[in-house]
Amino acid sequence: MKELEYNTDDSIAALATGWEESALAVIRTSGTDSIERAAAIFSNSAGMLAAEGGRIIYGFVIDPETGEKVDEVLAAVFRAPKSYTGENSVEFFCHGGLPAVATMLSALKKGGFRDAGPGEFTMRAFINGKLDLTRAEAVHEIVTAKTPRAHSLALNRLSGALEERIDGLKKRIVDMLSKVELLLDYPEDELDGQASGYPLDETELSRLCEDIECLAESFRAGRVFREGVPVALAGRTNAGKSSLFNLLLKEDRAIVSEFHGTTRDYIESWINVNGIPLRLFDTAGLRASENSVEAEGIKRSGEVIADAGIVLYLVDSAEGLNSEDETFLEDFEDKSRLIPVWSKIDRGGNSVPEGFIPVSAMTAEGLPRLEQALSDSALGKKGLDDEVIIDSIRQRDLLSRAAEAVRTVQAATAQQAPLDAVAMELKDAVDALGEITGEVSSADILNNIFLKFCVGK
Amino acid sequence: MNNADYDAIVIGGGHAGIEASLALARLGYETMLITQSLDAIGRLSCNPSIGGLSKGNIVREIDALGGEMGKLIDKSMIQFRILNQRRGPAVQAPRAQADKFLYTRLAKETVENQSRLHPFQDTVVDFILDSSETKIQGVITERGRRFTAGTVVMTTGTFMEGNIFIGDWVTSSGRLGEPAAVGLGTSLRRMGFSLGRLKTGTPARVASSSIDYSKMEIQPGDDKIVPFSFAADTIVRPAVPCYITYTNERTHKIIRDNMDKSPLYGGKIVGTGPRYCPSIEDKVVRFPDRDRHQIFVEPEGLDSEEMYLNGISSSLPETVQEAFLRTIPGLEDVRVMRPGYAVEYDYLDPLQLSPSLMTKKIAGLFSAGQTNGTSGYEEAGCQGLLAGINAAMYMQGKPPLVLSRSEAYAGVLIDDLVTLGTKEPYRMFTSRAEYRLCLRQDTADIRLTQKSFDAGLQSAEAVERLNLKIEGIEEIKELLRGRRVNGKDVEEAGLRVTGLKERLGDTFEKLMKVPDFTTEDLLVIEPSLSETHRQWLDQAAIDIKYEGYIDRQQKQINRFKRMENLKIPAAFNYEGVNGISSESMEKLKEIRPLSVGQASRISGVRSSDIAVLLVLLGRGDDNA
Ligand SMILES: Cc1cc2nc3c(=O)[nH]c(=O)nc-3n(C[C@H](O)[C@H](O)[C@H](O)COP(=O)(O)OP(=O)(O)OC[C@H]3O[C@@H](n4cnc5c(N)ncnc54)[C@H](O)[C@@H]3O)c2cc1C
Ligand SMILES: Nc1nc2c(ncn2[C@@H]2O[C@H](COP(=O)(O)OP(=O)(O)O)[C@@H](O)[C@H]2O)c(=O)[nH]1
Ligand SMILES: [Mg+2]
Repeated sequence: MKELEYNTDDSIAALATGWEESALAVIRTSGTDSIERAAAIFSNSAGMLAAEGGRIIYGFVIDPETGEKVDEVLAAVFRAPKSYTGENSVEFFCHGGLPAVATMLSALKKGGFRDAGPGEFTMRAFINGKLDLTRAEAVHEIVTAKTPRAHSLALNRLSGALEERIDGLKKRIVDMLSKVELLLDYPEDELDGQASGYPLDETELSRLCEDIECLAESFRAGRVFREGVPVALAGRTNAGKSSLFNLLLKEDRAIVSEFHGTTRDYIESWINVNGIPLRLFDTAGLRASENSVEAEGIKRSGEVIADAGIVLYLVDSAEGLNSEDETFLEDFEDKSRLIPVWSKIDRGGNSVPEGFIPVSAMTAEGLPRLEQALSDSALGKKGLDDEVIIDSIRQRDLLSRAAEAVRTVQAATAQQAPLDAVAMELKDAVDALGEITGEVSSADILNNIFLKFCVGK
Repeated sequence: MNNADYDAIVIGGGHAGIEASLALARLGYETMLITQSLDAIGRLSCNPSIGGLSKGNIVREIDALGGEMGKLIDKSMIQFRILNQRRGPAVQAPRAQADKFLYTRLAKETVENQSRLHPFQDTVVDFILDSSETKIQGVITERGRRFTAGTVVMTTGTFMEGNIFIGDWVTSSGRLGEPAAVGLGTSLRRMGFSLGRLKTGTPARVASSSIDYSKMEIQPGDDKIVPFSFAADTIVRPAVPCYITYTNERTHKIIRDNMDKSPLYGGKIVGTGPRYCPSIEDKVVRFPDRDRHQIFVEPEGLDSEEMYLNGISSSLPETVQEAFLRTIPGLEDVRVMRPGYAVEYDYLDPLQLSPSLMTKKIAGLFSAGQTNGTSGYEEAGCQGLLAGINAAMYMQGKPPLVLSRSEAYAGVLIDDLVTLGTKEPYRMFTSRAEYRLCLRQDTADIRLTQKSFDAGLQSAEAVERLNLKIEGIEEIKELLRGRRVNGKDVEEAGLRVTGLKERLGDTFEKLMKVPDFTTEDLLVIEPSLSETHRQWLDQAAIDIKYEGYIDRQQKQINRFKRMENLKIPAAFNYEGVNGISSESMEKLKEIRPLSVGQASRISGVRSSDIAVLLVLLGRGDDNA
């Protein structure tokens, strides 16, 4: 596994600025072929390929699968050895919204970049002699956290159950691998019936693969838990969403205005409600718009609402419910995720309909009840705290790699492929899981063989 | 050292010693081979066979590097098999039953006929060092002779302070009937080396005429023999069968009832035995659920009455051995000729060796074979060969020949020994080699012959032969890439090669990638290919079939090599390096890895330590 940590023959990408809401985000890439790869998903491909080191080019990043524009960016091209890492590199300056960053990263990934592991840019930098000793200490820290032991210590703090689960999966693969290796280490006639037929079973492999994939998918849930439950503010324009957002935030961040449709995209912020981390999203009003930029914002609002864990739906008490509100409320499928809010109650409008929480953003009346409803809804989300979840992109990627390898083995098993080739794939799966909870060496495999089988003349 | 008696002295004429001494003499050095008995040169102490999974690959590597083992077994084999035919080409390997007596005779003759090689019968008991006690200058023998030389290769096998056990009978011996080499272990300890005890065992040899073979399964060899040596295309050798029989509950009961008489379980033997080669006592204790264990009955030689009972090594008292053997089908009236026994001996902790197999403590002193904690003829042979070559490199002031894990099983073996050490007799296994798809037995010459030629050992003919082979294989691949299945092919061969019709228009290369499509099928369609070398054809076929896997492995290798190529200077000072844990520091100072890659394989050295090393090694390099 150590060998993988220092793998420097591919191109990597990662967000260089903080993983938080900001006006501008910088995504850094590095690798011998990073400029070619970046150019392949860039509108001004030729310009980028021709660019000298240190040049900045304007253009769009294009999703290589859909062909759609992902974001309007400035791209800085660096040529080896004059870059942070000493390798070829392209840095993208893009819009800072987190979803925007996420789509950028996903486009880069489709374009052949791998998510950089923690400290990997720094690692490449000093492998290429770009870092001096004064920074060694810092690098040391980062890399230390990558060692299996330190890593599993961190894991233990987070979730001992997760390690147990991964170890369980790993053990299942190691057992399969041992059966294969047994046949490669000892000739048929010496096994005396201890292993007959093809050593792998398709259904067992398929079950294993599902279990690994299932854990990989828990990343979504894990993110919710770790990154907070996303809470979307929805409602017609001027319902008072931005004002409520500010109240919950206790600071003026969203732009409050009397003109319809000011919040064009959406704004995100962390809030802490009764100790529970929530990510609050203020969205544009849900209103058909002629203005294309605003229409885009409305479309994104819809996505945010769909992805949110909890939706606060605001209805202006002075205006009362209209058909648009009723449609939204009725169509909303998972009612446990929905909190209807009766806003601006300081104005003394219509009486509170059944199920609505009356709130005034102006006077903060009703705020405690709203906060209670929010935390109840967040905690009420089943399974979040007892289910095993994974907690990083790296782990998810490693699990996906393992699952993919197991799938390949499954396909090979269907064809009864030669075992020497199959063993290579299985080892890959073991190595991937080993990177999460500790390496499995060939000596471990041999131990397993000697423990389980009576072999040797 | 001028005026020395010899350029080099090799201690011990076992499988390691033969290769070491032949290599040194062939590289031009006056070499003395001191061994306890000239009649025992190249003796096969245990099983009468050479090769097997991964071990067969090693024999071919020895041959590719200009060693002798492949040639010796080619001339003395009495049965040949390719193992694991159905489990993928990367892990197939040749094994041969040897006529032990013929093998030993041929080994002795080869040594005797080698110019500059001087065999001498005596036992080495001590070393001569220079005044600073850091350099070897020669050896002292049991009979008090002093021989001087600037390099010494130690290959003492199971003989150093060896003890043999049969029940409660113990004697100082390295092999039944041969005295131990006493004294050397003490000298080495005095010189500050750390030695350990290991144990191994061997089964009884019984009289063929007392066996009822009709009660056993017969196990014939293959019809086709592929020589171990790349120098030969074909060989003709006799093929005698082996037999298989089984123990049963009665056998196990006798063993269990007498366990208290076992030196192993009675606590007399302290050395660690190999788990992969357990005695029958071990098998019965560790796997109580198994109601039988397999025994292979193998001839020790064409003209010998002795039969070797593979799978049932034991150190129980002779009468107990006899009793349990007689419960086994076919062995009811068996006559034991030599009893099974266990041997315990001193070995040198191989962490004290550098990858050239020279000891780090004493310049010019090399060590190879079972002495380094391994077990097996092939394991001993490849170490002996490399120790011999590197003793020569040392004398020439040239860098040693160190094979990488990605280019030879021999490389894996030595790297494991000097990086991880060993606590039990180390045997090679296919699973120890992470890049085994690229370590096929049929490619040993492509991987290694040129290296040995560059070192001055391998002959020009061998390189010429290799180039011919490489070109030949390329030509075959060229043909397969260009030639397409046509109507005539389908007409002529369509009946004999299933599915050929559907492949009309495909290149032969594509055809070859179909899993079930064999070289035989290819020959049916394109009979002209039968004129080319069959082994080349097979090799081209495997290369094509495995292209995807081999490419992937090659990528892994490239990645691996990057860290191997980051060399750590010999004089690197770990003292006072900030940020390396003290545990790792001790290990790094002890093992002194040659590269960052090797350092990263040391157990207990963490990624963070490696990172610090990288930073330090990068200092002063201004490629920015
Ligand atoms: C009882 C027994 C059981 C074994 N079981 C197995 C097994 O199960 N599996 C397996 O793979 N291998 C087994 N072997 C091991 C196999 O025989 C060895 O691995 C192989 O022979 C090692 O080769 P070598 O050259 O290192 O040493 P050896 O073949 O032991 O040769 C050493 C030679 O050096 C000579 N010598 C030693 N010390 C001195 C000295 N001081 N001065 C002069 N000459 C000296 C000895 O007389 C001997 O000729 C067994 C060996 C024995 C004896
Ligand atoms: N009196 C009163 N006015 C409010 C309240 N909440 C919002 N408003 C006003 O309603 C208008 C629209 O509010 P805004 O938060 O921008 O609505 P949004 O379009 O849903 O984000 C602004 O003029 C606010 O000042 C409230 O609780 N009380
Ligand atoms: Mg707003």
